[in-house]
Amino acid sequence: MKRHVAVFFIMVLSLSFLAGCWSKKELNDLAIVSAVALDLDKQGRFIGTFQFVNPGNVTGGFQGGGGGQGNAVSVYSAKGDNMDEISRRMSTKVSRNLYYAHANLLVISEELAKKKGILPILDAFDRDPTFRNTATVVISHQAKAADLVKTLTAIDKIPANKMIKMLRFSERVYGGTMNVMIMDVVRDLTDDGKQPVISGLNLKGSAETGKTLQNIMQTTPESAPQIGGLALFKDGKLTGWLNGSKARGAVWTLNKIKKTEININKKGKKAAIVLEVIRQNTKISATTIDGTAHLMVKVETEGNIGETKVPINLKDPMVIKRLEYGFEGAIEKEIKSAITVAQKKKTDIFGFGDAVHRSQPETWKRISKNWDEDYFAKANVKIKVDVFVRRTGLRSNSFLSDVK
Amino acid sequence: MEKAKITAYQLFALVLLFELGSALLVALGIEAKQDAWIVILLGMIGGLLIFFVFYRLYCFYPDCLPTEYLQKIMGKGLGKSVAFLYMLYNVYLAARVLRDFGAMLLTFAYIETPLFIANTLMILVIVYSVSKGIEVLARTGELFLVFIYFLAGSGVLLVLFSGVIDLHNLQPVLENGWKPIIKTTVRETIYFPFGELIVFTMIMPYLRDAKKIRNVGIFGVIVSGISLALVMVINISILGVDLTERSQFPLLSTIQTIQVADFLERLDVYFVIALIVGGFFKVAMFIYAAVIGTANIFTVTPPSRLSYPIGLVVLILSMTMASSFPEHLKEGVSIVPLLLHLPFQIIFPVLLLGVAYWKNRKHKKQGTG
Amino acid sequence: MPSFFKKKSQKGKKTAEKQKKPAVSSPLSEVLEENLAVITSKTGNSTDIIIRRLKHSPRFKTESAIVYLKGLTDTQTVQEILIESLMKSDPVEQEPSSMQEMVEGYLPLGIMESLKDWETLFQALMSGHTIIFVDGFSEAMSTSTEGGEQRSIEEPSTQRAIRGSREGFTESIETNISMVRRIIQNPTLWTETMTIGRVTKTKVTIMYIKGIARDDIIEELRNRLKKIDIDSVLESGYIEQYIEDQSLTVFPTLYHSERPDVVAGNLLEGRFALFVNGSPFVLLGPVVFIQFFQSIEDYTERFYISTALRLLRVLIFFISLIGPATYIAATTFHQEMIPTQLLVAIAAQRESVPFPSFVEAIIMEVTFEILREAGIRMPKAIGSAISIVGALVIGQAAVQAGVVSAAMVIIVAITAIASFATPSFGIAISTRLLRFLFMISAATFGFYGMILGFIILVVHLCGLRSFGVPYMSPLAPFVPADINDTVIRGPLWADRKRPSFMSGQNQLRQGEETGRPEPDKSRQMVTKNEGDAQ
Repeated sequence: MKRHVAVFFIMVLSLSFLAGCWSKKELNDLAIVSAVALDLDKQGRFIGTFQFVNPGNVTGGFQGGGGGQGNAVSVYSAKGDNMDEISRRMSTKVSRNLYYAHANLLVISEELAKKKGILPILDAFDRDPTFRNTATVVISHQAKAADLVKTLTAIDKIPANKMIKMLRFSERVYGGTMNVMIMDVVRDLTDDGKQPVISGLNLKGSAETGKTLQNIMQTTPESAPQIGGLALFKDGKLTGWLNGSKARGAVWTLNKIKKTEININKKGKKAAIVLEVIRQNTKISATTIDGTAHLMVKVETEGNIGETKVPINLKDPMVIKRLEYGFEGAIEKEIKSAITVAQKKKTDIFGFGDAVHRSQPETWKRISKNWDEDYFAKANVKIKVDVFVRRTGLRSNSFLSDVK
Repeated sequence: MEKAKITAYQLFALVLLFELGSALLVALGIEAKQDAWIVILLGMIGGLLIFFVFYRLYCFYPDCLPTEYLQKIMGKGLGKSVAFLYMLYNVYLAARVLRDFGAMLLTFAYIETPLFIANTLMILVIVYSVSKGIEVLARTGELFLVFIYFLAGSGVLLVLFSGVIDLHNLQPVLENGWKPIIKTTVRETIYFPFGELIVFTMIMPYLRDAKKIRNVGIFGVIVSGISLALVMVINISILGVDLTERSQFPLLSTIQTIQVADFLERLDVYFVIALIVGGFFKVAMFIYAAVIGTANIFTVTPPSRLSYPIGLVVLILSMTMASSFPEHLKEGVSIVPLLLHLPFQIIFPVLLLGVAYWKNRKHKKQGTG
Repeated sequence: MPSFFKKKSQKGKKTAEKQKKPAVSSPLSEVLEENLAVITSKTGNSTDIIIRRLKHSPRFKTESAIVYLKGLTDTQTVQEILIESLMKSDPVEQEPSSMQEMVEGYLPLGIMESLKDWETLFQALMSGHTIIFVDGFSEAMSTSTEGGEQRSIEEPSTQRAIRGSREGFTESIETNISMVRRIIQNPTLWTETMTIGRVTKTKVTIMYIKGIARDDIIEELRNRLKKIDIDSVLESGYIEQYIEDQSLTVFPTLYHSERPDVVAGNLLEGRFALFVNGSPFVLLGPVVFIQFFQSIEDYTERFYISTALRLLRVLIFFISLIGPATYIAATTFHQEMIPTQLLVAIAAQRESVPFPSFVEAIIMEVTFEILREAGIRMPKAIGSAISIVGALVIGQAAVQAGVVSAAMVIIVAITAIASFATPSFGIAISTRLLRFLFMISAATFGFYGMILGFIILVVHLCGLRSFGVPYMSPLAPFVPADINDTVIRGPLWADRKRPSFMSGQNQLRQGEETGRPEPDKSRQMVTKNEGDAQ
């Protein structure tokens, strides 16, 4: 017994020490990639631009007071025909091992998405065990993807974090955008009843000033990434954009709205009454009858009155009822406009195809091939919105009612 | 057979850990698309039937290891050789699971580490545990069962809180009818993981309270079947059928989607724990069965002396059985079930049961007449 | 618990049991002077042996003498009672036939024994008895006059309790036994005493409650104690190492306590207690692992609080076991599992650190162990100086110099505090050692290594036993009835049975009637004025 134990321990120990260093990576030897941007060069090759974190400059003056001076990130680019090549070539410029597990943002340029599509690039990210497929994907709108990751940002020092947080926060309180993960895109690409839709980011100001530290030393950074619309995809290629209220209409339909505001005109004033949406639930369904698709969107929304610009008697339930009808119309309009655009582009980003698949599996097998063109694009759309105004904030009637 | 007794709850824990061992990690029954969970439940029912065959056999010879009653049923020479074949089967399955396990570990976490090293470390731990005997193994199982279910519970809660579950992914149910479901059941889930319960025929005689075996077995199979089906439902509803099918380890992808409060994320360690603990128990049970059975056939005492050599055989076999992971998986899907699982898990036991029934009836007649 | 692995290993078993036969002892002489000469020569004329000759005792016709050890005897008793009564008593009328007869009636002292050979005489003398020699008798009388300076009963220093008795054991075995007797006033509290140690002749007493403790365990203990044949027993730890079930383990398989109430509680659960003279630590067994996470207060506080505290202690155990290892594994193998913000923060701190995480961790842990060791050995006054130096060296300078990262200091500090917070010192030191093993496994194989290490640890723990009782019971094997007092502590009224492995037949510890305290339903809240209620 004793000998067994001894032999066992010697084996384990020697193995451990032999094995010691295969998969080991010290933090000091890692170049933490925070964002990856992909552009297309003139020859049609990919340009990968990687944003690396300079940890010492992120956390501020901790050790010896040297922190906080330099840039929070450094950005390097490399060209290649595939992702692996870019990654290997990057090593000629970076002194450490590239570490992708914290790359939470993938920026794809509009040009690339239009010309080559996203199909040829996503497999690498989907397959690689270190790259998380929960990373956020965005499309750079009217800007180079590289410029977006090169731009320094204030408040959140790591630009990638800023962009992700911006997307998430905006999704939560405004609703005109979505935080789309690589996993979602891949799932939509393989799903024959739904096409991907990805948020867009554009760059305010010039790309050159964005790179310098001066940019974030001002109270109003001259260059900053900002949210811009939703990119529609069809068969892996970008076909168009949804902006503003249309983008929000699409997010409504996708049941991704968490909070937002809706306004209606009243008594000749524009956007006079504002509803703060606090909760909503959207259900979509679809059927095909005699070769025509019937799409149905059902929205249930709850909210509070957030603002009034005109005197109005909010104590009266009938008035509230009328306001509810108004809000319903407004939401319906947004959704309608979003669906119309998608129909025009012949891309079912809402998953109506999946709804048919669920309700009529047999029919779906027949029509799935040309769902987008023959059915979705010509479908009848019915939208039903129910708005419930629950509360009116701290005041009942606005002081405007009493202004003499 | 060692002098040891285990409790009903311990047997239950072992059954559960064994069943969940590697089945939890792979896309079980995904050939039936979104109906994989039905396949698992059907497999569970099949598993129950198989278990009843084992149980009846046990009832005829409650104090013997299968290696002994094989000899009683089939005669000494033939019985011994069939028993030996069974031991080879156990060793082969142990090696298969070990290979699965090692390959999984290297695929997602230890890319640069040689497979041999990963497997060797694992087999050392297993051999050490097996040599401690069934009682220690069973107690360890008890503790880890609580641990694993605690992890699973918290994991499920976190997944729910992340709000990524979309049950629409499970629809339409029975899209292609029952045919693919039955096919997948018969070709896959009934053997893996449920038919592999045949290992427990080597352990049943250790149970302190023989009456409880039936309930423990049924309960263990049902709980494990439901757990597996539940995990599959969660996987599919989060990842979608397509991604689940393409994932080497759907559970890992599922766990990676957990994001709660911007901090509880990246919980891959859950998967690592499930992987290692599950792999440990599955391989350990196979090796234990092989050790105790071989010792019984060749009358080696104490049986633990065999755990090191058998461990070594398993290790070498696991390294040489396939040159790549896809090859290994292919063998597992198309060759092993028909060539090994079907005869060893179903045909032989049913035949044996028939013979045993006939023999014992005759025996009884003689006894009364 | 039979394990098929163990059978072979009883090599040390000796066929012929060593019999401890006393050295052939010679009888006493009749001549007083000869006897006294033997004493002086055998003790090497030691100065603390006092020989008082009583030339003209009225009691004895002939010359007599008393012999005692200064320091071990209660001087007052010897001088005021013994000598005085010997000198002042009336002369005997008739010729006494034996010494016993002569002395017994006139000495107001408890234990009197007649000694006839030197072996027992010396033993009595060395344990503090006073020996009376009378010329003309080939025997001597020993009277129990033990006393002398001893530590008084103080508050125990190792197992402090906020609520509970303030008594702690002392070095005297008699005092210790009496303290337990005072708590359990029942004739079923049995003791057996034996002497162990060829040279030290230490008294060792087994104590158990007949009818609750299992007879087979007591018998086993007796056998194991009988087999011990060593020179010296200076502390109960000596005995512990000879009666353990398995010595190749870092975990304690016997519990020791300084508190009489803990000992009483354990006796009532069917355990035995082993008192060793000269040690304030009483051994208790058989033990289970979970017992080391319990403290006496758990039973006096409400059970919600006790349960929470016990869970906290389990957490503490895990932190002190795998804290630094987890840090090493996460930062050198599994950076993907750390949330991004945290990773960046840690990476920033590690930028200037020249060592790999593992080396950094080892440096810090070893430094800490050195400091702790230094702190224990130093006088209290210097101890605080050491902690200042330690805090400055570790906390400030090392981080500022960039030798270690601040995160590492935090980890080591948490681990250190956690290991101080473990209720049992025995477990705390085991985890200290295992921590390093886990650090090595984490440094070589990350979480894989750690989990494998953890499996081995659990397998090892499940294979341990203490006097045949599985070490991990009642968790594994799972005993539902006993789970009430493990990592959780149920209410006392629900804790009906004693641990089933310890106590044989007598399991019930509450009357059938006792149950959850419930006031009579009809009774209402007391109103402010008694008179108003009517």
